[in-house]
Amino acid sequence: MTGLSQSWSRRVWLRSALPIVALFAAGLAGQAQAQDGQRVSITGEIADSWCTVSGLMFAKGSAHHQCAVWCALGGIPVSIRDAEGALYLILRIGDDTDSVANPRVARLMAHEVTVDGELLERDGVKYLLVDQIADDKGVINLTHDEHGIQPFGN
Amino acid sequence: MRAVGIGVAALVVFAPAVAPAAEPWGIPHEKPVVLKGRVVEALCHLKGVCAPDCGAGKRQLGIVEADGRFRLVGKGQIDFAGAAPDLAGFCGREVEADGLLIENPAITLFFAQGVREAGSTAPFTPTERFKAQWEARNGPAPEWWRADPESNAIIAETGPLGIKGLVPKPKP
Repeated sequence: MTGLSQSWSRRVWLRSALPIVALFAAGLAGQAQAQDGQRVSITGEIADSWCTVSGLMFAKGSAHHQCAVWCALGGIPVSIRDAEGALYLILRIGDDTDSVANPRVARLMAHEVTVDGELLERDGVKYLLVDQIADDKGVINLTHDEHGIQPFGN
Repeated sequence: MRAVGIGVAALVVFAPAVAPAAEPWGIPHEKPVVLKGRVVEALCHLKGVCAPDCGAGKRQLGIVEADGRFRLVGKGQIDFAGAAPDLAGFCGREVEADGLLIENPAITLFFAQGVREAGSTAPFTPTERFKAQWEARNGPAPEWWRADPESNAIIAETGPLGIKGLVPKPKP
């Protein structure tokens, strides 16, 4: 094989391989860490993650419902807080993958729920992909007599 | 050529770290940091369920650091609002984000206070796009949360306590 044909072959190979490499790279960009999670059933209160971790206000139950609606519609990540205080950050409910400012989720704030879904743990966060809301008791944690309406009392 | 490669590698390795300028909030477990990495959408990155443009502001976003750690960005500078509007424009691109990493045992969140393209020497852009976008839809308001039509519709329906018909005691 001459030097010219070797060079041409290399160029043809590169030209045909590049799209494959690019596709592979694009796949990696989107799904670099795609993983299978664990099937779980979680019971707890639907809470906004920011108020819960910031400790800037009392972020539980009826006292915090209004604030939690604002945060959910502001795009703060919404979680389920279980009885031990663990937070499970919701990335989807059923087929609904809107996890920022989703009015359907905002209507659930401060509700006590049981959900079934898939749990993915990564770098200090428990991510929850909810398949179904098995039970929704509404707001049952009555905290407003003691804590008023968070955060400003009205 | 080899020397140039080694030089570039050395520059990358020994590039001065950007000092965080984030304002402390006194939040338990907070640590001022500048995160460097690629903006990705959480559901796509973790599960491979991807949407165009990182969900166009409708999905939670985060930053993948060089060591592979994924940091969810949960908060921006606007009260009661996240940072998805500030990061969405950087989907798939490398950024630097100045803020507070809150490693609470319950959850690790990043509170981004400013963001810029990686390698830029420009000041960090404050994470305030939520307000601009909200005002473009609804007009100006001193407190977006009290003027938000969607919030007000929910609260009108359920009451501020989340239980229809239950009203708070009048203030003494």
